[in-house]
Amino acid sequence: MKRKPGVLLIGLGVLAFVATMIGAFRLAVTFDQRLAFHPPISERGEAEEWTPRQEALEQQRQEEEEAARTKPYEEEEYRAFPKVGSRVAIWVVAQLHLLFAAFVLAVPMFAVVIEWIGIRTGDKRYDALAYEFTKLLSVSFSLTATFGAGLTFMLIALYPKFTNYLMHVFSPTFLPYVLLFFAEAGFLYTYYYGWGKFSPKVHLFLGIMLNVVGTGIMVIANAWLTFMMTPNGVSESGALISTWDAVSNYTWMPINIHRLIANVAYGGSVAAAYAAYQFLQAKNDAERAHYDWMGYIGNFVAICGLLPLPFAGYWLASEIYAFSQTMGLTMMGGAFSWLFIIQAVLIGNLFLFANWYLWLGMGRIQGAERFRAFIWPLLTIITICFAIWATPRSIIATTEEVQAMGGSSHPVLGYLGVMSAKNTAVNILILTTYVSFLLYRRSGKIPTVKWAKTGNLAQAIIFALSAATVIGYGIAGYRVDAATRIGFSRPQVGAVLLAMLLVTVIDVLMLRGAKTTDTRWGKIRPLSQYLLIMLAVTFTWLMGLMGYLRSGLRLHWHVFGVVRDTSPDAFTPTLGFATQVVSVTVLIFFGLIGFVFWLAGLSGKESHAGEEAAAHAAHPSPVGFDPSPAGATPMSSAGGSAPAASAATSSRIETS
Amino acid sequence: MKIPVTLQLVIITLALTGFYTMVGQAVPQKEVHPPEVIEIPTTISTAEMVEIGKSIFEGKGLCSTCHTIGKSGALRFPDLAGIAERAATRKPGYTALDYLAESLYEPDAYVVPGFNPGMPVINKPPVGLTDQEILTVIAYLESLGGEPTVTMETKLVYTGGSREGEAGGDEAAEAVAE
Amino acid sequence: MEQFNWWVIVPVFAALIALRWRRTSMLTWFAAWWIGMFLVVRYGFTVPVPMSVVKLYMGLVTAALVAYVLTDAGRIREVTEPLAAFMTERRYLPYLAAVALFIPAAVAFGIYRDMTRVPQPPSFARTIHPATPAEPIDVHGTSYDLGTADNPYRELEETDPAAFKARVENGRKIYYENCFYCHGDVMAGDGMFAHALNPIPTNFQDPGTIAMLREAFLFWRIAKGGPGLPAEGGPWASAMPAWENFLSEDEMWNVILFLYEFTGHRPRAVELH
Repeated sequence: MKRKPGVLLIGLGVLAFVATMIGAFRLAVTFDQRLAFHPPISERGEAEEWTPRQEALEQQRQEEEEAARTKPYEEEEYRAFPKVGSRVAIWVVAQLHLLFAAFVLAVPMFAVVIEWIGIRTGDKRYDALAYEFTKLLSVSFSLTATFGAGLTFMLIALYPKFTNYLMHVFSPTFLPYVLLFFAEAGFLYTYYYGWGKFSPKVHLFLGIMLNVVGTGIMVIANAWLTFMMTPNGVSESGALISTWDAVSNYTWMPINIHRLIANVAYGGSVAAAYAAYQFLQAKNDAERAHYDWMGYIGNFVAICGLLPLPFAGYWLASEIYAFSQTMGLTMMGGAFSWLFIIQAVLIGNLFLFANWYLWLGMGRIQGAERFRAFIWPLLTIITICFAIWATPRSIIATTEEVQAMGGSSHPVLGYLGVMSAKNTAVNILILTTYVSFLLYRRSGKIPTVKWAKTGNLAQAIIFALSAATVIGYGIAGYRVDAATRIGFSRPQVGAVLLAMLLVTVIDVLMLRGAKTTDTRWGKIRPLSQYLLIMLAVTFTWLMGLMGYLRSGLRLHWHVFGVVRDTSPDAFTPTLGFATQVVSVTVLIFFGLIGFVFWLAGLSGKESHAGEEAAAHAAHPSPVGFDPSPAGATPMSSAGGSAPAASAATSSRIETS
Repeated sequence: MKIPVTLQLVIITLALTGFYTMVGQAVPQKEVHPPEVIEIPTTISTAEMVEIGKSIFEGKGLCSTCHTIGKSGALRFPDLAGIAERAATRKPGYTALDYLAESLYEPDAYVVPGFNPGMPVINKPPVGLTDQEILTVIAYLESLGGEPTVTMETKLVYTGGSREGEAGGDEAAEAVAE
Repeated sequence: MEQFNWWVIVPVFAALIALRWRRTSMLTWFAAWWIGMFLVVRYGFTVPVPMSVVKLYMGLVTAALVAYVLTDAGRIREVTEPLAAFMTERRYLPYLAAVALFIPAAVAFGIYRDMTRVPQPPSFARTIHPATPAEPIDVHGTSYDLGTADNPYRELEETDPAAFKARVENGRKIYYENCFYCHGDVMAGDGMFAHALNPIPTNFQDPGTIAMLREAFLFWRIAKGGPGLPAEGGPWASAMPAWENFLSEDEMWNVILFLYEFTGHRPRAVELH
């Protein structure tokens, strides 16, 4: 009975609100009309007779009607999209399509790998995790298709002539694309709904086919867009010579590889964001433990993708230079050079967040305290590298500052703005992130092999040598000409990759049969989960930005050098405007992906409650809950055992 | 007071996106407009051609994206200061005019030693200058270290004329046939 | 190494390292590092770093410091507890009130300063000493190849000091009749018209100017002045007149002799490749 007045009040409040709004609107309209221009009253003559003016108007109307009847049909080149214009409309829809597509392509890749690990080790947790990743897929897949259809219709409606041209070149690729799309839908739904219904081998096969088909779709779509950038296989006027040549243009393979890796990194980070979202809403330790672990795996996948990404990017850039020096210079030296400063801020953030997450992750591992002292040197190195990378080549300065510097370049900062410094910084960043990861990996384990000391020393020496090589070449880069300097990036990258490979091999051998302390999943500060979300936002934004770069590089061309853009949107917008569009796109994407997460969470609710009860029965201890029955960390194949787990429970160390 | 998780995440996403947008606004803002068609009357003098050629060189011709004038040191592309003098001696049998025309219409026919090929063909997209525009650019290049000789009437090998450095029209006809 | 102000960098780092051994609270430590890094970035370079870059670097430093504090629960407590105490405990009330007043006052002051600032023209990147034109320049009918040209009277310094001195004296007369209005009594670029000009007149006393240039370069700049500057120097509003319209070649070469004689600089030698 007590609630009734409350409902009444709310109803009255709503009514009052609506009334106020209507009142305000009426008032605004009144004022607006008062301010508007009215013709002087004197002109409003009430002349009823037929004036020459009315006669002329009537004649004009008839002529217009006549013209409308006999109007010839003309092919339109462009149609305008209301308010925002065709370019922004197609930009946002294409970017959203791409973001969902990237996610849909990436998740099956690591879902299948995780499922395979589950089958290999017989550990049910992996299977459950792979299923949870897959749960995110089906809604995302529909959204991808929706945006894809939207993009196609908008292309036809807004850019009919250009779309027609693309049909001219690529018509043979459309049928395979559609067929692959059917196959993708088939495999995806059988993979998802058939979970646990097929024999593991058949199910794994479905998952692999899903990946193969998905990659095929991406490769075909890549052919269209890379053709727009670096056309091939057409005559000077654009007539088709060979569709295969048009497909295998300069940037097709680099984009395929770059996107494949980037998709993995991005998909991992979005999946980790899902885990973080669930972690933060978790009701009990069991859920927290599960989602902490899931977030960790997602982030691990993201970092694995992130580390080789700059190298794939270099390849892509060098192919762009090989296709057209003009385009390469537009990218690095011309209108888009400042975009790379924005990119530096984003990638610097990615590295910072990823490292920070790993350091926070040490909190859940017993015995990680001994590595705490490494954090500040690593942080210092990351900050310095970040600063070098973000130092612009041409500095924004006021008139007085320019006068003080005696020119537009600073005597010291000038050294940091050039390629040598930036290459060195990014290589060191990658190396540092790897060290962070290694420390995290080591924090839960104590090597038992006799040569552990020698091994540690060897690893340290390898890191030192690799860093010295990178820095040495970086400094030498200032003393040689440009052609030699470009060649220097290869030994730098080589040194980093070799060091990572050698150190991993030593580490794997050294930790064989290592004593494993327990990992208390879920015992991590919530801050780490916010970091995962921020990583996902940054990744998404970065994809939007780089998408703009790739597309914007064509300047006033639909197909670079072949089909010219003659629409009102042919100009290249400012970076400020581009970043605004990217931000809006990212926000729409997160709105939609939030919906996907919510749905995925809904479907899991009931079954999860059941699992949870079972888990509580198995592990009565309230603290130090470990979802791993074998007590193993997901990264180690060697398993600890029950005593280790109980030891962890009793000797819980305060993180002070 | 505890803020609901969803709201927290919305705030974080908005804040981070806002920050990146802000970074985007902090860098220099420049719109790149497509090049405009330049109407060149056929009656202009060579001196006026040099002026127009210079503006094309710095603007829609995109020449100054790569080429410098009067810069020394480690260069990635040939410097064009005093090019008129060097152009006359680059290829035997070619006058400065022949050489400059070839450099623009067939850039890869002769690559200056020490540099890599990679210059686009200037009368084809994406640069796509008209023959008249190229004549003015040649006038400008000739003015660097010499006296410009071309007029709007000059016929290059590529526009139905013959090489000045070659006698007879046979080879020119061949070149056109190519 | 003279690009750095060591008298700033060394004390700052010494103080920060000393801080390591004193048991200071995290909050003090945070503030000390932030201020220290600001001092290094802002004043650690001989040529000041532009504000845009200072802001960028300080943003990074802030992010790194925050990351460091937030990685450890103990550190967070050390930072938040004093702040919470400051805001809640009664004995800090006057200080809190002062801070509460100070923040809007500072914002107001900032806005006031922004609104009253004299508008600045947008700055353009420009080359202070553009490359000399490769083609020879023409002055009063004589053609000079700037790559090889040299002061015709420079050799008198060795061969005929008396004649050389006469030339320098002639240069002095020309300088004080024509140049000193802008370039100043002692050639410091601070003549009575200097304040009205942007870019300001060159300071010949500065070892970075005529001491780094060849006499032919000076001759080119004097003869052709602001109007003769090449386009790659960017938008240039130099008020230097083209002196070839007012002075003879001899007079220009003489005034160059005087510039070097008065400042004590030596011209850069002609490089023979």
